[in-house]
Amino acid sequence: MTGKLPRTTVISIFLRSLLIQGAWNYHTMLGAGFGFSMLPGLRRLFPNDPAAVETALDRHLEHFNAHPYLASVALGASLRMESEGEDAETIRRFKIAVRGPLGSLGDALVWATWLPTVSVSTLALFWIGLPGWAAVCLFLVVYNVGHIWLRAWGLRTGLEAGRNLGRRLAEADLTGLTARLQPLLVLALGGLAGALLGGQRGLGESGAVWVGLAACGFVAGVVGGHRTWRPAAIATVSAIGLIAAWGVFG
Amino acid sequence: MPPDLLRLGLLGGLLGLDGTAVGQFMISRPLVVGAVMGWAVGDMELGLGIGAVLELYLLVSFPTGGARFPEGATATAVAVAVAAPFSGAGAVPIAVAVGLVWGQIGGASVNAQRHFNSLLVPEPGSNTASGFPPGLSHLIAIAADFLRGGVVTMTGVISGRLLIGSVVDQWPLSSSASTGLLLVGGAVSAGILLHDLGGFRRRRTLFAAGIALGIIGSRLL
Repeated sequence: MTGKLPRTTVISIFLRSLLIQGAWNYHTMLGAGFGFSMLPGLRRLFPNDPAAVETALDRHLEHFNAHPYLASVALGASLRMESEGEDAETIRRFKIAVRGPLGSLGDALVWATWLPTVSVSTLALFWIGLPGWAAVCLFLVVYNVGHIWLRAWGLRTGLEAGRNLGRRLAEADLTGLTARLQPLLVLALGGLAGALLGGQRGLGESGAVWVGLAACGFVAGVVGGHRTWRPAAIATVSAIGLIAAWGVFG
Repeated sequence: MPPDLLRLGLLGGLLGLDGTAVGQFMISRPLVVGAVMGWAVGDMELGLGIGAVLELYLLVSFPTGGARFPEGATATAVAVAVAAPFSGAGAVPIAVAVGLVWGQIGGASVNAQRHFNSLLVPEPGSNTASGFPPGLSHLIAIAADFLRGGVVTMTGVISGRLLIGSVVDQWPLSSSASTGLLLVGGAVSAGILLHDLGGFRRRRTLFAAGIALGIIGSRLL
């Protein structure tokens, strides 16, 4: 398949896939971006047949949703299937079959593990005393090495595997990678807590009362999970408002 | 419109694009936005401090699927721009509060943007005859998202500066107590993350090792 698509076309598809969520909507979700990203490949596959390009594009504008980084896997595989002359219904069913797994794999690996790992590590280093500009550069470089690699790997894997994508994804063991990264995130989270407790930018000079309150907040988060986030944010904003009002009227 | 406000709005719009529409390189994360906005207002330390606090709050806020979430980019852009002209211990906590509120408004505007995009994209199965062609609809949607982020940022900066100007001088807490107050809320997010990773009992050894490393590191540096 990669022989059928020149490197420039693959690069063009890759660059367009960076905008795959450009027109994210509640009707077709990633569908519009999927079609937009596939267009250079479809033009190359049907070079002298604008009607065939139009028909194929129309199929790929349908509802599709997955993790935006791993959507490139489905993009590559769909292009491969188009190039092999698979019928439209087979390609449609294939996309329906892969969108769920690509969404959940990506959410677990990227949003729930990779991003927090890099973010928490950076915050820990910032509160330990790393210069802020260095922390920001470190965050962007480390995060995007993983990000760009994942998108590029996904497109290449999809193009190579086509409809045999399931086996390739199983071999890649993204779930195992997620599980291996999580201990690092826990360690970094502990490091962040330690840095907040001991660092001068953190609670080091705030006193025991604030350390105790922060510990209570932390325990509330551990016990209550996500349902505590909104009440905590509302309580913080309310406390700040009340203290400001106390300053003005008190 | 003051040029300063327009500049901040353009920057907010640009940084907000990364949240969903363009790339997701995470330049829209609060820590990065804080640094960029801090540079723009001439006080990078302030921007980084606010960005780090909001990054902590939004540790557990990720753009999964079609979920609604607070918009970190405009929240941080607004908070830094609101705090910048003011001095005193109250500027940062009040600006962070404004940012947290504006993050929700930004999130609601992202939701509206997604409904707007539904009107733009071609209807599947209609041979791309309906809506705009894919390339153009994409371009319009991205431009609209940029405009949205800019407007959210500018309105947040105007509202926030009006509010903060009337109360910042009377803020009664010291700088260290204000930091403590902000980190209490942030600690909840850290707890939620540990909850997601299996909870304290399951992860206590690694977590305790991390705390020790963090404390030792902060003593050494």
